[in-house]
Amino acid sequence: MSDITLQTKKFQKEMNAGTSSLVLLKVLSRSKEPMYGYQIAKLLEESGPEFPMMKQGTLYPVLRSLEENGLLSSMVEPSVSGPPRRYYKITEDGQAALKDWLEIWKQTKKFVDTILKG
Amino acid sequence: MFNTVEEYLDALKAEMQGSDAALMQDALADAREHLSTALVVAREKNAGLNEVDALKVIVDEYGTPEETASAYQEVERRTSPSLKQTVKSQSWPARFFGVYADVRAWGALLYMLIAFITGVFYFAWAVTGVSVSISFLIFIFGFPIALLFLLSVRGLALLEGRLVEALLGVRMPRRPLFSHQGMKWLDRLKALLTDKATWLMLVYMIVQFALGIVYFVAIVTVLSFSLSLIAIPFVQEFLDQGAIYNNGLRYSFPIWSYPLLILAGFLLWTTFMNIARGIGQLHGRFAKWMLVTE
Repeated sequence: MSDITLQTKKFQKEMNAGTSSLVLLKVLSRSKEPMYGYQIAKLLEESGPEFPMMKQGTLYPVLRSLEENGLLSSMVEPSVSGPPRRYYKITEDGQAALKDWLEIWKQTKKFVDTILKG
Repeated sequence: MFNTVEEYLDALKAEMQGSDAALMQDALADAREHLSTALVVAREKNAGLNEVDALKVIVDEYGTPEETASAYQEVERRTSPSLKQTVKSQSWPARFFGVYADVRAWGALLYMLIAFITGVFYFAWAVTGVSVSISFLIFIFGFPIALLFLLSVRGLALLEGRLVEALLGVRMPRRPLFSHQGMKWLDRLKALLTDKATWLMLVYMIVQFALGIVYFVAIVTVLSFSLSLIAIPFVQEFLDQGAIYNNGLRYSFPIWSYPLLILAGFLLWTTFMNIARGIGQLHGRFAKWMLVTE
């Protein structure tokens, strides 16, 4: 692999590090029911099939760290087929954080767009 | 490429070799949940499906074991257990007296108190469970009872792990291990019985009884002794009574010794807090060694 694609991969990874938390919080805040990992991954895939931004496997550690920080809560429920599933739900703290994060995202987007156009 | 979910999990395990055992356990649980669910969905859509091909597509979307492992390690670097602190080098008096500001010391004290209660419960549960399971094994319904008991041991071990992580700041598993999915229950019982982890957990539950009592006695003894030393001047001055009582006679400590007594009580408790912090760390390591399967 050439050095440039390696750098590009790294850049993509760093971009995802922040945005994936924002995206996951938003998805869970929009959903009325608690959702499990596979469901979230499918939803993301369907809403933006032309951008396979991140591997689905990278969502899980992010979900876990959001839960660790109290922005999500989760519970395990058995499933009819296969292993038990962990269902995630957004918490009050999560809703509050999402509001702030969206503001930051808007600012960042505006700023970056301005620079790139300039 | 991977022919089964288990093969993927083995590769992931190999990839995560050397990282925290608890983190690995979480990563494996997540991967198992996702890959199995995706396979079931794929099978529902297309009954005559070639599993190997389907798994290839699923793994392609999920990420290679290498990518998955690095994602977990990346996130873990950013979120550390709640009580973990950055180690600052300090002079020893600062470290000695700084123990009052150290959450780990207070956490360890609380854990040592709670260990008394949980220890008694674990012991009672383990002894009752083992004896009931063994004696009922002569009946056919002894087998499900034994299975339920062993599963409850697993559950309690997970719970204890959460307690250890919250109070002692040692990273413990956040997910149960579901390694026996889709097995017949008799096979499942066999798997649990032959798993070293089950027995280590049982031993832990029994040892915790002794440790819990030792911890509790140590706290109560040292605390009451320290408080008594500090209280002597007040008892003598305000209640006007000698603090030493022997053969119907009361003796008093001289006034010049008051500051020394208070200082001694304070130092005793401070020393004990330092020891408790150490015990907490040791116990955390012990719990990790006993309760987390590699």
